[in-house]
Amino acid sequence: MNLPLMLFIGFVAVLLLVLVWGLRRPQERRKLRGGPQSLDENDRRHVTYLPQIRQALAKADFKFLRERASEKVQRRVRRERRNVALAYLDALRGDFHSLLRTARVIAVLSPDVAAVHEFERLRLTAKFGLQYQLIRWKLLAGFATLPQLDGLSNLVSGLSVRMEAAMKELGERAALAAELASSMNGRGLGAV
Amino acid sequence: MAELQKLQQILWMVNIAAGVLLLILVAVRRNYRAFPAFTLYLLTNSTCSMLVLLTYHRWGFSSSGFWWFASGMQILATSARALAVAELCKHLLARYLGIWGLAWRVLLSCAALTLIYSCIATNYQWRLALIRANRGLELTIAAVIVAVFVIARYYHLETNLAERSLAVGFCLYSCFRALNNTILERFLDHYVVLWNFLGMLAFLGSLLLWAWALRRPQTEAVPAETLLPAGVYQAVAPQINLRLRLLNEQLGQFWKTEATRN
Repeated sequence: MNLPLMLFIGFVAVLLLVLVWGLRRPQERRKLRGGPQSLDENDRRHVTYLPQIRQALAKADFKFLRERASEKVQRRVRRERRNVALAYLDALRGDFHSLLRTARVIAVLSPDVAAVHEFERLRLTAKFGLQYQLIRWKLLAGFATLPQLDGLSNLVSGLSVRMEAAMKELGERAALAAELASSMNGRGLGAV
Repeated sequence: MAELQKLQQILWMVNIAAGVLLLILVAVRRNYRAFPAFTLYLLTNSTCSMLVLLTYHRWGFSSSGFWWFASGMQILATSARALAVAELCKHLLARYLGIWGLAWRVLLSCAALTLIYSCIATNYQWRLALIRANRGLELTIAAVIVAVFVIARYYHLETNLAERSLAVGFCLYSCFRALNNTILERFLDHYVVLWNFLGMLAFLGSLLLWAWALRRPQTEAVPAETLLPAGVYQAVAPQINLRLRLLNEQLGQFWKTEATRN
């Protein structure tokens, strides 16, 4: 079997695999019929629990335990705290996806979408995914450091704050546009 | 081998009959209004199949005249199929105006890239030019359909089950034909009857899937989604992306710090 033949067969196999993936419904799928009101669903942020997670991974606690508790207790505490950190990481990802969903809803409900913005968001999503997996594996292996979690938290919390500000600004703009339109119609400028 | 050849002829006629029946179903359910290009494809395909069958009986399978005529008809039918797929893509995505504006450019690029890839991979052997041109078209059709599904999944778009089934039928058939053409090219003389038989079987499967998809009348045009004012996306998207860029730079710096510290 020569190389081009293998490449063609490989290409078709990849196409079929991607087709199966594309046909599966995403787990977090939500109907877009809700319209613009669905933009306002990000009312909960897991980032706010960062101090507790920081506490869960604090070195001082482990040092204290090492001096006072048995090896068995230390192992149990370490395992439980790692599970807490993993759950937190999953929740962060949930936050990130929720924000992305908001951005997607805006794109889907817009009459004009710019390729540059969409591809950039795709790239950033891939980057977040990679970052998330790296930290997760490090946590599972037991040698993740707190700054890494901090970095991911900053990414999500910063994005949330900016999105909220943008949505607020949009609301104000929409109200202003509606006011302008009504005043123009009142003066007979709106009709053609 | 003789039995397979006989079976192939029976399947050939079954396929023509199934194609005509599907055409009748499309006419009865008035689905030609919703899918004019698909209807044209069914018509082209049935006509081509009948013509090729007649030529086969007149000239025989091994004559070079039959080979060129059949390949030409195949290219014609595949082109009609490409048109039907373009129509289907529009059906699946056009109600989301902004996404469609982006998607048709992505799909065209995807199609162009696949065609270029196919041309390069042919290695300029003109003896097999028709088979390879056909394979290139098949791969392009399959890649475009897969790209539509990827876009729909990425944006969590709602898609009609009938349109989805039609697209899956097209994609599976194109993938099968592309694979078959590749194998035919490699083992040209030994497996040509088996290749034809399997190709016909795959087509029959697609016909059945399409018939199931179009068993009910389809609406001509799906109403477009209620859209946000034009300025909303322009205002929000750059802000989100700017922030994301900054955050990624921050993250990059963070990794650098980690690396230095280690």
